[in-house]
Amino acid sequence: MSEQTVNFSLKYQQLLRDLKNTVEGLLVGQVVNVFIYGGLNRLHIAIEKIFKHGCKAISEDDTSDYWQFIQGLEWLQPSSTKSSLTLDSEYDPHMPQHIKSDRASIWLYHSLETYSLSQKLSWLLTDKAHLQSCYQEQAFLCQEKYAESVLICLRAVERNQPGLMSEIDPCLFLSKTNIKEYHKSHRRCSSFPDNHFKNTGDFYGSFRSKTLHKLDLNCEKASKEIDNTKSSPKIITNKRIHGKLKPWSSLPNLAVGVSTIRERSKSVAHSRTTPSTPVLSKYPKNNLFSTATFPIPLKTNIKKCRKTSSNIRKRVKHVVINNNDIIEHTPPLNHLVYNSSALNDELVNLSIKSLPETKSPIRKTNLSRSAPDYSFLTALSGEKDYKRKPKKTFIEDGGMSILPMATGYFPRPTKGQTLTAFLTSSQFARTNAELDRENAHFSISEAMISAIEQIRCKRDFKMVDEQVEESDEEIMDLKQRIRLRRRQKLEEKQRKIWSASLLSDGKTDTTTTEASVSPYSTSPGTPSESISSDEVEDINIDEASNLTDHRGMSMSMASLYSEADLFKRQRGAPDGASDILSAEGVALSLISRFNEKQLPRASDLEWLVSEEDAPQALLPMPKSWPVSPDDPVDELSITPLRGTKEWAPPRPQIIFTPHPRPERKKLMEKQNYRCAGCSMRVAPQYASKFRYCDYLGRYFCTGCHTNQLALIPGRVLQKWDFTRYPVSNFSYRLLEQMYVDPLFRIFELNKNIIKRSKNLEVCRKYRLGLYYLKDFILSCRFAETIRECLENENSYILTDPDVYSMQDLINVRSGEMKSRLKYLVELCCRHAAECELCQARGFICEICLGDEVIFPWQLRKVARCYKCGSCFHSRCWNSKESPCVRCQRIDRRKEDRWSSYEE
Amino acid sequence: MATRKKVLLKVIILGDSGVGKTSLMNQYVNKKFSNQYKATIGADFLTKEVIVDDRIVTMQIWDTAGQERFQSLGVAFYRGADCCVLVFDVTAPNTFKSLDSWRDEFLIQASPREPENFPFVLLGNKVDLEPRAISSKRAQQWCQSKNGIPYFETSAKEALNVEQAFQSIARNALTQQNQTVDLYNEFPDQIKLTNTTNRNSNGDSCAC
Repeated sequence: MSEQTVNFSLKYQQLLRDLKNTVEGLLVGQVVNVFIYGGLNRLHIAIEKIFKHGCKAISEDDTSDYWQFIQGLEWLQPSSTKSSLTLDSEYDPHMPQHIKSDRASIWLYHSLETYSLSQKLSWLLTDKAHLQSCYQEQAFLCQEKYAESVLICLRAVERNQPGLMSEIDPCLFLSKTNIKEYHKSHRRCSSFPDNHFKNTGDFYGSFRSKTLHKLDLNCEKASKEIDNTKSSPKIITNKRIHGKLKPWSSLPNLAVGVSTIRERSKSVAHSRTTPSTPVLSKYPKNNLFSTATFPIPLKTNIKKCRKTSSNIRKRVKHVVINNNDIIEHTPPLNHLVYNSSALNDELVNLSIKSLPETKSPIRKTNLSRSAPDYSFLTALSGEKDYKRKPKKTFIEDGGMSILPMATGYFPRPTKGQTLTAFLTSSQFARTNAELDRENAHFSISEAMISAIEQIRCKRDFKMVDEQVEESDEEIMDLKQRIRLRRRQKLEEKQRKIWSASLLSDGKTDTTTTEASVSPYSTSPGTPSESISSDEVEDINIDEASNLTDHRGMSMSMASLYSEADLFKRQRGAPDGASDILSAEGVALSLISRFNEKQLPRASDLEWLVSEEDAPQALLPMPKSWPVSPDDPVDELSITPLRGTKEWAPPRPQIIFTPHPRPERKKLMEKQNYRCAGCSMRVAPQYASKFRYCDYLGRYFCTGCHTNQLALIPGRVLQKWDFTRYPVSNFSYRLLEQMYVDPLFRIFELNKNIIKRSKNLEVCRKYRLGLYYLKDFILSCRFAETIRECLENENSYILTDPDVYSMQDLINVRSGEMKSRLKYLVELCCRHAAECELCQARGFICEICLGDEVIFPWQLRKVARCYKCGSCFHSRCWNSKESPCVRCQRIDRRKEDRWSSYEE
Repeated sequence: MATRKKVLLKVIILGDSGVGKTSLMNQYVNKKFSNQYKATIGADFLTKEVIVDDRIVTMQIWDTAGQERFQSLGVAFYRGADCCVLVFDVTAPNTFKSLDSWRDEFLIQASPREPENFPFVLLGNKVDLEPRAISSKRAQQWCQSKNGIPYFETSAKEALNVEQAFQSIARNALTQQNQTVDLYNEFPDQIKLTNTTNRNSNGDSCAC
């Protein structure tokens, strides 16, 4: 890695950090107008710096002129730029003086003010050719990941959602060596619309803007037509769409699907906002499009657009593109109208992560029309992909690995685990209960104090024998970095002084991030310091000292949002907002200011009260306990074994019956107004906030119940109801663990279930047939290949014909089970009919002694004695009417033998 | 006549589990013995070509599972057997006591034409082991009571008497088959005038 690239990445990081800090500063107040108190100016400066970085065109006063880049919008998105590009500089009276002269700057300012920059920038970034023509290769905006982060920051501002900041890739702030490590642990599929237009060569050049314009108009027309025809599906033929499904990309891509325009057929532009899920990329068809649905944002509905320009309402229509045929489909009107941010949210929701919880009617329409190609969508809409193996199935550990919400659980570091690794470990994801999270604060702050104490202690110790350290290669490297940083800071400072007067808007102090000066590293009086051991030390806590520099909330909160969020995803916590301020999140942001090397190992931390001294976890349920015979058997005196008298944690139960309709008031009273998961108490007037878990039949707080949907075994077994109902997180994980386990003897649990489904009836026969066939096939040396087929099945499918897992029942319902079993049964039967050995192992009816060889799987004509296994023609023998002749013989012999013994 | 044709003799080995049925067959066919016990599942056969009275015959020896109570697999292969070999363990009296039931079961399931004259051979296996529980005399007595069944004392481990026993089995089986063939031949002869070719194919399918 050359020095230059290091230089560049440092610059990127700095630019991004500046922006991020500014944005976080803006958002931390959670005020409605984020641009109050001069926030707009600060953001404008940060953004402008980014736009200027690496820009090719140089304007008169020696600064980069990115106007050319912005102008790209003219043809990229003609409709939206029309107004903004011809913006009057006098438009905004409170616009700072210094930017009034620069049209690019004005544009930027205005775009920020109208909350439209993220969209515009994303359009600009999609055209790589344009980007490269305006910027140098090393320009900030040419770095996809950094550019994406800028978009994230802008979106966060536009929607006033600090939580969005967590989507910034943490790797961007790390030195290169650490990146790999983080890639392993942190990768989420981001959720930006994959607006993917593709230009066909002919139209690439000067025709482009025209064509686009035309297409836009056509879209408008099309939307009108849809209005006329209301929601009736409409088929447009003769469209040829060029394009391809693009695998996931976090940058919004705009490309034009330009059809070869024919005179008689209208062309339709498809701004395809494909759900950018990785799943989708698995399903590309070789030719053009497979059947797929794309929401198409159409032209602004002007009548309704009376809100602020940011709240542009868009019409979304769904188009199924099936090779050459386009079937337009409009969902019911109330789902059609989105404001622009809601639209984006919708798309964000399409990322797999959040899908299981969303119940968008649109996706339901997708499902109802889904061809086999849609199998991935099925997996997305609430039906979790259970195929990935859970760590342990229910049968293996009886659900004991699924802990109830509040367990007093605090993870223990493993030996040699680093502090960061410990705090980011998935173990923390287990503590979902408010109570445990609260308690974690104590443990973690203790850990932090002890860690920082250790660092300080070490530092004091190090100062004594600095000389030895001097030769250390790492130290040298750090020194090198100090020098670089200082130079940068000096440069920035100078620039800042140069424009200091202009920066101030009079409402806030001029504390912008880059202006801050660390008293340790760069003191104004000593521009060229000699490197002392002090400074080597200082750079390690350089970041930490920054923390103090940035007065007030902005920086400290910034630190919280940044690092804490970076690790947030691993926790899989239900709602992000509380997560940023979670104990481990705060701790992480604290220790991220220190060099990893300096931090003590998590396992080396000394706890004031160790787990051994005072175990915190709930005691396991005892199998039995001594009861003194003298004790009066009085219900009141019974000591609760789990939990308290008011509450006990949920147990991993298998519940076979559905619960009666819940009556909130009654049930909440029964639960003593406590969450069934974590025992958190709720005031009766807020009891309506609690959520009902359809599996356990109890109410849970919103922390323990995040509206995850699951199949309820009881409902399936009793009512053949495969609807997914909201369940608590505990139940969800329990049911997930049970999903593949053969736990249900369905015919015992519900005698009438066979009447519910024809498929089930058939499957039951096949299972029984296979149960008999497997004895023959598995022991036949001529049936090697078929044996492999059978061995691929779960063993219980063959050995226990009446047992089903939830997954099996889904497969029964879908008919998949039937076809799979049918195939196997036919395969086995064919073999048995032709195989010499299997024929020899058949049965002969003892009653009629006919020559015909009979087999137990000939269910209609053969009856089998369940005791000795003999087979008879069902016309020759009826198990209910007469005993089995062979059993009789065997019993008689046994008696004889006993009598002979007695003799 | 069918006598010059290649002959297949079907021999069934029966007896309690662990008496050495599989070992005997392996010793006879493969000349191998293993101390390891592995229960036989269902039934399987090995074939061996032997010369009996100057005739080459193929012996199809069916080894069976010894457990009696529940059998997931049937015994349709009893049908058409030419000889049944009953095996007991000379050191285990119970295996001798259950010989009757094995014989009964066989006769019921195989339902031969003349159950009284169907050739059985009795083998008292494991004579290399001590202590003996069933004396040679007692076994002989049982054989006499069953219409003079031939009796051999064998050791599959030491390959003692195995060859001789199977020679006798083969000879008995062949006699049985010849009788059956003769029996069959009596009828085809009468039909011979009307359908010659049919008779030949009938004879074939009977022989093998």
